[in-house]
Amino acid sequence: MRIVEAFVGEYASGKSENAINRSLELLAENHKVTLVDLDTVEPFYTLRPLKKDLQGMGLNVIAWSPEETMGLGEAGSLLRQEMIWALKNEGSIILDIGYGVHGANIFNLIEGATSDPDLKVYAVVSTARPMTATKEDIVEYIKDLGKVDGLINNTHLGNETTPEVIEEGSQIVTEAALELGIPVIYTAVSQELAHQFPGTDKMGNPIKVIKRFMPQAFW
Amino acid sequence: MSEKPVKGSRRVFMTGNEVCAWAALAAEADIMYGYPITPQTDIMQYWTRLAPKYGRKFLQTEDEISAGFTTVGGVIAGKRAFSATTGPGNTLFQEPMSMAEMMRIPTVVIIPQRGGPSTATVIYSQQEVTMTTFGGNGEGFRIVYSTAGHQDLYDYTIKAFNTAWKYRFPTFVLGDGYQAKMREPLTIYDPAERGIEMVKTEPLVGLPGTPGVDRPVQYLRNTYNTEEELYDVVMSIAKDYEKAAPEIMEWQDFDTDGEMDVLILAHGVVSRAAQGALPLLKDAGIHAGHFRPITLRPMPEEQMRQAAAKAKRILVVESAYGQFLKLVKEALYGMDKPIDTLLRPGAGVTAEEIVHRIQEGR
Repeated sequence: MRIVEAFVGEYASGKSENAINRSLELLAENHKVTLVDLDTVEPFYTLRPLKKDLQGMGLNVIAWSPEETMGLGEAGSLLRQEMIWALKNEGSIILDIGYGVHGANIFNLIEGATSDPDLKVYAVVSTARPMTATKEDIVEYIKDLGKVDGLINNTHLGNETTPEVIEEGSQIVTEAALELGIPVIYTAVSQELAHQFPGTDKMGNPIKVIKRFMPQAFW
Repeated sequence: MSEKPVKGSRRVFMTGNEVCAWAALAAEADIMYGYPITPQTDIMQYWTRLAPKYGRKFLQTEDEISAGFTTVGGVIAGKRAFSATTGPGNTLFQEPMSMAEMMRIPTVVIIPQRGGPSTATVIYSQQEVTMTTFGGNGEGFRIVYSTAGHQDLYDYTIKAFNTAWKYRFPTFVLGDGYQAKMREPLTIYDPAERGIEMVKTEPLVGLPGTPGVDRPVQYLRNTYNTEEELYDVVMSIAKDYEKAAPEIMEWQDFDTDGEMDVLILAHGVVSRAAQGALPLLKDAGIHAGHFRPITLRPMPEEQMRQAAAKAKRILVVESAYGQFLKLVKEALYGMDKPIDTLLRPGAGVTAEEIVHRIQEGR
């Protein structure tokens, strides 16, 4: 089955981390996977520095390499033509989208984004970010983003994350999802805390164990 | 007044630029003036997203000269006004900030430094130290806090408003593109809950009463007719600055209690590398300490000298080609201490690189 998923959300919510992990998960299930860095808003903290490593793992990665770019943040962002045609790739496709409303606008430039029957857009939400810390704020924020098919609870405090932080986030994200009438796709838990989450979180959301790659993305 | 943007205190995870916008909100800033330049622009973007919710204002100007002067104007009108800029924008800010020095206007400007000279790069640098501490055609009558991470950005952005308004000197929060864009946890809080009272602002013009009768004449000037007149004014500002300096200076020291083989001097985000190097050096049998000035203007010279006196050698580390080094040399003038350097203009410094530099120098 062809899986096409786009990860949208705020700065530091965990879009890239979840996109990478989802790509590797599909790869392990023998999908042919293309991972696309479509972050045209934030030119620094993207999966770019990890491009070679991820390709080495067997992913088809469409992203600029740091050495190919020039005047980051100054010269505007360019799309590679492979990015515009990303949805025409064979196999499953994971899109890592830039932050906020302007990030989500990238769909206007991607061929087939409005008509692709398989495309699911998931918003990655962390309630440790003050702008998406309450149910009301999340609902308002998601409504601005356009098409969103589900929420991912990725509430975290970096290395300081505790199970309580994740559960607290799960409750708020779940309430927001209920009001929006969309599902919580999963609650993300880092490998270090995975043993504390057998099965589901307290709200009954599935758990996805993720490995953290982005701390290595030294730019 | 509308709802408080930050109630109580809570642990959060976000980018440094967002931290600055939240801190300015928590500090009851009324208005931001600004012109976009990377890596500062997100401060504006987050401020413009948040400010309307809390009845605060924003004005985008046509350039940085205008952003600087409108900030001065906002303060003169009695608003807790601030701006943010960097690199070439900071260059253009020097003219309005000189005016602020001369007129004693308590402006606050956040500077996430970028690489230079000129347009250069946008991520990592400490190359705006000279300009931020002593820029403009003045005498450096400013206050400069050099932050080392997100908690600092929050704490010192709030403090900058109070220092500026208490002492009436332009005040800068000097970060860098790396802090602006990196993500780490911090605690945000309502200043009132920590017992921090925001210094009351007041208009500097249009005051009630008759000048010279009910109140002293409020005479904001940056133009003088004679050398004698100017000399008196500058010397009086200098006197006020020197008097306030000991109350404003801040610093941190790490492992500087006993005799040291080497004292690492670093500020801002590079201090994090220096702090990280200390345990590595200890394992290698080298007794190292670290002194970090938090205020680069005024520089805690006496405290730096006390730390330096206990060390055999000094190592100055910075992401610039000797800008902090100049300030160090001035602070340590007359001391008989060899100074080594690790100068990486526009580039990052890791703990391992500091360790390597110390080991190769032995």
